[in-house]
Amino acid sequence: MNIALRFWSGYVRTTHRWPIIATIVPFIPVVAIWSIVANSGMFPRAFFPAPVDVMRSFISLTYKGILPDYLQDSLIRLLFGATIGVALGIPLGILIGSSRLAHRICWPVLLFFQAIGDIAWLPILLIWFGFGLTTMTFVIVYTVLFPIVLSTVLGVQSVHRDLARAAQSLGASPMRVLWEVTLPGALPNIITGLRNGLGYGWRALIAVEIIVGTSGIGFMMFDARRAGSTVEILLGMIVLGTLWYIVDAWILAPIERATGQRWGLVTS
Amino acid sequence: MKTLSLKNLRKTYFDPYAGSQVTAVHDVSLDVEQGEFVSVVGPSGCGKTTILNMIAGFIPYTGDEILIDGNLVKGPGPDRGVVFQSFALFPWKTVLENVGFGPKMRGVPKDERDRTAREYLALAGLSHAADRYPNELSGGMQQRVGVVRALANNPAVLLMDEPFASVDAQTRMTLQEELTRIWQERKPTVIFITHDVAEAVFLANRVVVLSKGRVLDQIKVDLPRPRVWDHLIEDETFKRLSAQVLQMVRAA
Amino acid sequence: MLVAPGQKVRSRVAWRGMNSLVGAALFVAPLLVLVAIWAIVVPLFNVNPRIFPSVGSVAEAAVAAIGDGSLIRHIGASMLRVGLGTFLGVLVAVPLGIAMGVSPAVSAFLTPLFRFFSVLAGIAWIPIATLWFGYGFGAIIFVIFNAVFFVVAYNTLLGVSTIPMTIRNAAASLGAGRWALLTEVLLPGALPNIVTGVRTGLGFAWRGLIAAEMIATNVGLGYMLFVARDFYRTEVIVLGMIVIGVLWLFIDRLLLVPLERATIERWGLVRRT
Ligand SMILES: Nc1ncnc2c1ncn2[C@@H]1O[C@H](COP(=O)(O)OP(=O)(O)O)[C@@H](O)[C@H]1O
Ligand SMILES: [Mg+2]
Repeated sequence: MNIALRFWSGYVRTTHRWPIIATIVPFIPVVAIWSIVANSGMFPRAFFPAPVDVMRSFISLTYKGILPDYLQDSLIRLLFGATIGVALGIPLGILIGSSRLAHRICWPVLLFFQAIGDIAWLPILLIWFGFGLTTMTFVIVYTVLFPIVLSTVLGVQSVHRDLARAAQSLGASPMRVLWEVTLPGALPNIITGLRNGLGYGWRALIAVEIIVGTSGIGFMMFDARRAGSTVEILLGMIVLGTLWYIVDAWILAPIERATGQRWGLVTS
Repeated sequence: MKTLSLKNLRKTYFDPYAGSQVTAVHDVSLDVEQGEFVSVVGPSGCGKTTILNMIAGFIPYTGDEILIDGNLVKGPGPDRGVVFQSFALFPWKTVLENVGFGPKMRGVPKDERDRTAREYLALAGLSHAADRYPNELSGGMQQRVGVVRALANNPAVLLMDEPFASVDAQTRMTLQEELTRIWQERKPTVIFITHDVAEAVFLANRVVVLSKGRVLDQIKVDLPRPRVWDHLIEDETFKRLSAQVLQMVRAA
Repeated sequence: MLVAPGQKVRSRVAWRGMNSLVGAALFVAPLLVLVAIWAIVVPLFNVNPRIFPSVGSVAEAAVAAIGDGSLIRHIGASMLRVGLGTFLGVLVAVPLGIAMGVSPAVSAFLTPLFRFFSVLAGIAWIPIATLWFGYGFGAIIFVIFNAVFFVVAYNTLLGVSTIPMTIRNAAASLGAGRWALLTEVLLPGALPNIVTGVRTGLGFAWRGLIAAEMIATNVGLGYMLFVARDFYRTEVIVLGMIVIGVLWLFIDRLLLVPLERATIERWGLVRRT
């Protein structure tokens, strides 16, 4: 009892000091069980490799430079597409959000095109642009764009009218009102949109890399699937999961929380 | 007849961050008669909530025993109604459903528990709000619901932990007057926890002063009822008792 | 006197019906304008049908696809997969999420695990799913199942752990037993998160479905699009895209969004976009 308490106390204190440990420790039993099942011979090893196999493949692919190259390709594609998506999405969102007429007209169109979804565009894009970077970028921009536009519109609309009036009566020009009031007011929503958009964006990237496939983590996974190499598929999944976990949990979510809660705009 | 009896209650928390023990309650014994209104007053951190949580059964108690009508306490139960500082109304239930929750748990059929709930809502002047959701009510109204929800379950003891601490001053006075009125009508046994000395004296038949996990002293309050602030605020006995309790709390 | 209340109700219902009719018309109007522009632009610039089809050819493709029953077959296959996978995912995820969320220590411990898997949910499972289950129904169901499962389980876990302890205590002190705690407190308390989880998970699942159908099967909307590409049948592709958009719009706007609104806004639990 006492030892258990000591142990628990130690764990709580350590994780309080280094929160990352609380993130990593829960994975230990999972990897252990995975390892036991893989080594028990319940499934053929080629079908269900052990953690060591994946580790070995990670080291060798990193050493050969394939994994870093592919990872770099994927990330650059995502970043490129996301940047264009943000650059288009925010102004569009502000435009639609600040005019009732624009909203009336554009909102159904936006919802419909969002509903079509990125991946359904692939076949016609392949006809238009062939297997290449343009197709990939289009899909990612498309994916990232809609969540950002939709959330920006909601954000702009959620800024209280009195705030803009207050700024105007303090002498701000319409441009200044936009910059000083509307944008900051919509920011928490915009960031939520960015987070959702990137979440869909990297999934779209994987799909595109699988189907269009010349390089990238998605390509690596599907190439491995063709060769029947489960190890590399699992490696790809783990790399993707880890990477996205870090981006989402340690960068995007804290920013979202910071803007929303700091200003008391989001009550969740 | 004793409704509630605490014998040598103690509680020590283990703080995992500090890796050490904190004694919140040292040695508390207390008897409460049926129909009595007891206020427990003391500075924040003196163990009031801990005692109440042990009586309510939310945390396991340590020490000798807690008896309700002669039965040992084992976990939370409908014999002890609780009113929370944060109201703790179910946001997904209407006011009527909130008040009817206790009877529902006892298997009372819907018609009957709706009738009971409406009766209690009328008692608190809330009949018009029966079909609203808690978040559509003001803080004061929410806590009225909290009080009648506990009462509608006919508990042997009503446990209240700083129930009016999070409403504004005017509403608080109204709620206090309403509570004394309801108490006079129904005569429930009440343990009322607060750090507000005037509130403690205003409501109670007896004030228990708590300090650092121990009972410092107890004072009988023989003020006439019905009690209303307009009268008591000028009342010499009230002033004297309040001053006396305040002195003890501050000295503690 | 006796008739008045009934009449009032009826006229209110009628009014609401009118209102939603007007709303629907306002919603559809811009889309019709878009179709009109499409109908004008394609012949005007003499667009090559291999690049983009005319309205007429898409309509013909629709008539043909409905006529030979192929469109219904593809829609049926896709909806069956999504429906079944989602149903199974929610069925397993909600009880599991609630069970794990009951103890704060357990839920704090498990949160990173479920977060990791929900981050991975959907398309990233296609390669391994097709390896384990072969190309076909099993692999697709698996992809949809786990897109929904992990996201819903994670959100349920989150939802249960955000229910204040005092609310659970209140229920217990009013005489709620284990079962009542589950049905009266934990389930409704986590419901807004569960609904949000289903909406997100279904979004991933829907995309995963289209992707998986392009890769791993020979029936379904994704397959219909991908095969049409081989023959440069843009009119079939565009038809498929429209069908996909309309279906998702119906699922999301008529099913998921109202559900989310009803729980979240009425109860005032969380205010979200
Ligand atoms: N769960 C807990 N873990 C550790 N210490 C606690 C816990 N709850 C209360 N305490 C400590 O016990 C003491 C009494 O707390 P409490 O009963 O809440 O006081 P009060 O309600 O009178 O303000 C305080 O010092 C507090 O820090
Ligand atoms: Mg307290």
